[in-house]
Amino acid sequence: MTTYPILSVTTFLPLVGAAAIFFLNERLARWIALATTLATLALSVPLYLQFDKASSALQFVEVARWIPSWNVSYGMGVDGISLPFVFLSVLMSVLCVAVSWTAVQTRVRDFYAALLVSETAMVGLFAATNFFLFYLFWELMIVPLFLLIGVWGGPGRTYAAVKFLMFTLAGSVLMLVGLIALLYLGNTLDFQELAGATRLNPTAQAWLFVAFLAAFAVKVPMFPVHTWLPDAHTEAPTAGSVILAGILLKMGAYGFLRISLPILPDAVQLFLTPMLVLSATAIVYGAHVTLAQTDVKRLIAYSSISHMGFVTLGIFTLNRNGVEGAILQMVNHGIVTGALFLCIGMIYERTHTREIADYGGLAKVAPIYSTFLALFCLAAAGFPGLNSFVGEFLIISGGFKARAWLGVMGVWGVALGTTYILWLYYRVVLGEVRPKLRELRLDLNLREVATLVPLALLVLVIGVYPEIVLSFLRASVTQLLGAVSGAGTVGRL
Amino acid sequence: MTDLLLLLPEIVLVVMALSLIVVARRVERAQSAAIFTVIAAAAAIFAGWAFSGAGPATGFGATISGDGYAQFFNVLFAANLALAALLSVKHLDAEHVRPAEFYALLLLSSTGMMLAAAATDLLVVYLGLELMTLCSYIMVGITRDRSISNEAAIKYFLLASFASALLLYGISLAYGVTGATDFQAIASAASSRGLAGHPLLLVAVALVAVGLAFKIAAVPFHAWAPDAYQGASAPVAAFLAAGSKAAGLAALGRVGLIAFAPEQRVWAGILVGLAALSIAGGSLLALSQSNMKRLLAYSSIAHAGYALLGLVSGTPDGISATMTYSFVYAFMTLGAFGVVIGLGERGEDLAGFRGLAATAPGTAALMLLFLLSLTGIPPTAGFAAKFGVILNAVRSGHLVLAVLAVVCSVVSAFFYLRVAVYMYMTEPQGVAPGRLPAEVSAALAVAAFLTIMGGMFPETFTAWTVPPS
Repeated sequence: MTTYPILSVTTFLPLVGAAAIFFLNERLARWIALATTLATLALSVPLYLQFDKASSALQFVEVARWIPSWNVSYGMGVDGISLPFVFLSVLMSVLCVAVSWTAVQTRVRDFYAALLVSETAMVGLFAATNFFLFYLFWELMIVPLFLLIGVWGGPGRTYAAVKFLMFTLAGSVLMLVGLIALLYLGNTLDFQELAGATRLNPTAQAWLFVAFLAAFAVKVPMFPVHTWLPDAHTEAPTAGSVILAGILLKMGAYGFLRISLPILPDAVQLFLTPMLVLSATAIVYGAHVTLAQTDVKRLIAYSSISHMGFVTLGIFTLNRNGVEGAILQMVNHGIVTGALFLCIGMIYERTHTREIADYGGLAKVAPIYSTFLALFCLAAAGFPGLNSFVGEFLIISGGFKARAWLGVMGVWGVALGTTYILWLYYRVVLGEVRPKLRELRLDLNLREVATLVPLALLVLVIGVYPEIVLSFLRASVTQLLGAVSGAGTVGRL
Repeated sequence: MTDLLLLLPEIVLVVMALSLIVVARRVERAQSAAIFTVIAAAAAIFAGWAFSGAGPATGFGATISGDGYAQFFNVLFAANLALAALLSVKHLDAEHVRPAEFYALLLLSSTGMMLAAAATDLLVVYLGLELMTLCSYIMVGITRDRSISNEAAIKYFLLASFASALLLYGISLAYGVTGATDFQAIASAASSRGLAGHPLLLVAVALVAVGLAFKIAAVPFHAWAPDAYQGASAPVAAFLAAGSKAAGLAALGRVGLIAFAPEQRVWAGILVGLAALSIAGGSLLALSQSNMKRLLAYSSIAHAGYALLGLVSGTPDGISATMTYSFVYAFMTLGAFGVVIGLGERGEDLAGFRGLAATAPGTAALMLLFLLSLTGIPPTAGFAAKFGVILNAVRSGHLVLAVLAVVCSVVSAFFYLRVAVYMYMTEPQGVAPGRLPAEVSAALAVAAFLTIMGGMFPETFTAWTVPPS
């Protein structure tokens, strides 16, 4: 084990960096941000190396007295489910700093400070072992993203930022009531104690499930509360889109895994069918809407709705394949969609247009860029041998096990997914070169290549050897399914 | 004589106020009077702290208590006094108000607040609150040559005297039924002589609640607040929002927990209604405001409702939650007003905040902090305080009220963060604001520090929030 409180350091180092940026010279901001995110990444390495994969228990646990009058302590710890997301958060933060290096020219200091605060919120959320701390980081995430979208975003940024804020706040305040009710009923907010304690009565569980659903569904986002997502993703600056797609969307699904499933198992069984129907709707509806998009960023944004539908579908199949696939898909979606947003951001910085119609023939003028884009597009389409294939395959097989029609919907979603993403690639990269594009220096520079390479490697490695992620999950998923499978005393809707 | 020890903080303030009046003609600059007032506030806190436990538990025929409850509020009022004194300097110089008179009123008003929090007798509560309000009328109208200020003072005076009359009428009815104005005596008379549920006593309970609801500006007794705050200078509005609300809540807490404990159901019912109406009304009415002082006035109405959530259960825990809430609220609202004051004329209008983040990033960041705290977003003190009172509402079975409270906090996010949108997401207009005056910066630093501390370590204040005994 490490000798320093590794999770707290990983969580709060970015906050220290943000404070440093705020008080130091504007010209140093980028470098401090890069140094901080890299240091955070480096400091988090022992987490992955020393993690005991055979155990489902929380590891690297830190506990400190905090608010005894509410029976809330400061608790940090990771298990197999949260660890991949800690890694994803610290990695994405580095890439976000890198991609914003030249793209952000106004109020640089505020930008990197906001980025680092959001890193603290992300890591803290996945490392929190009690609901209070979880909620704290959950809300802390909103503010920097609100500013990232609203200050450095595209032309419709203010509208998008306010919409994002109101949706997420409306969801999370219901979670706050649920959280308070949970504290009142169980007199604890510790995840493990809550899961281990005697189950709440089914009516209370059902109400709490609905309260938490409001928060999680908005974040995922599930159909029909997804409407903030296209605006926010599209208007956000590249780094903002990457954080939104890469991490923020995972928070909702993580909430289901960490809170709804273990603590409210009876309610999960009760709401199983509606949840599955909503997930399947999101997959198919999201994919159809994606087909109709003419804006590159908006297209990727809508595709997220479809992909996150797979995640919730996998979670609520409540079998091993489905849940493991869902978690893997969350990681994969973070990598692939994050990478796609990075790619779009890089080309947008040169062309200043997001219209698909303005592109064409990039393969001839920007070969390196086109190669990366090909890789990530194939990954997004679920091409065998690349990372998303494994996740989607597991989810669909889990879906077939749970209900046959779910599997069918999943396959339909994959088919549509292949269509929209390859069609996008066709329109942007292949064909005749647009005259306007000829005059620009479009291909990537070294910094940008270095930004994309880690994600490209992950796409390949996870695709070929998914065990690298799945081995972390196994024990924790087994324990999770054990908790939820015994439930179901109140029947289903 | 040892009874006087209980009133030491009040005595310090009164002595300071009187000496200010004596030397009034020689005090030309607001700064010196402000420093004098800050020293007075510090001396009052010190006196209360150094002699806590030295005097008897109650004094003056059991009309004044020196318990932890009173001490907690003494600290709050003294801090409020000090911050308001610092925030007033610039304004007084600009408006050519005689500083000594103003600061003497500020001191006396704070004395009244302290008295109201320490009182264990309805008449002394009344005296304290009247002292506070009488001084407030004058402070609201102290810029005599401004008609809006005069109008505000008159409105405030008429409505508040009406409320005082109701309070006094309630007290007299309570006296008529129970033969006492002392809290303990009222409670024991009501429970032992079978007077609980006596119709006249219920009327008395309702009238006292209404009278105090006026002081904290709870809906539907809030109408004076927006006009008074808008007409008054911003520092006075801040002083009233933080102080007069806390004084009213202090009185409500003690009266409810002790004097009207036998009538808890009726009392709680009234408070639930007031809380629900205030939270919903304050949040909704604030939506369309573009004047910052008016916006913060409606916000203070909503916050009165949130603070009442702690009192609906009538338990010591609940009172602690309300104490924390009023403490935290005082600093976040003083902070928000402080930024408004620091920006001068342009700060009074929402449009004045355009592009502030680009021209004055530090000020904008501070304002954002206070706005987040007012909205109740972690990790600020506003969140921890809100968590405490809502937890109390849930514990006492008022789940619907709790849901209403959080839903309205989303509504409130819309207008608080609209200021943030103006600051961060619009282009700056006109000249950049100058540096904040030193005294305003000092006040903002204190407010910001407490707002962050209270959020990161919610337990900080808990040890001090002693319910009345």
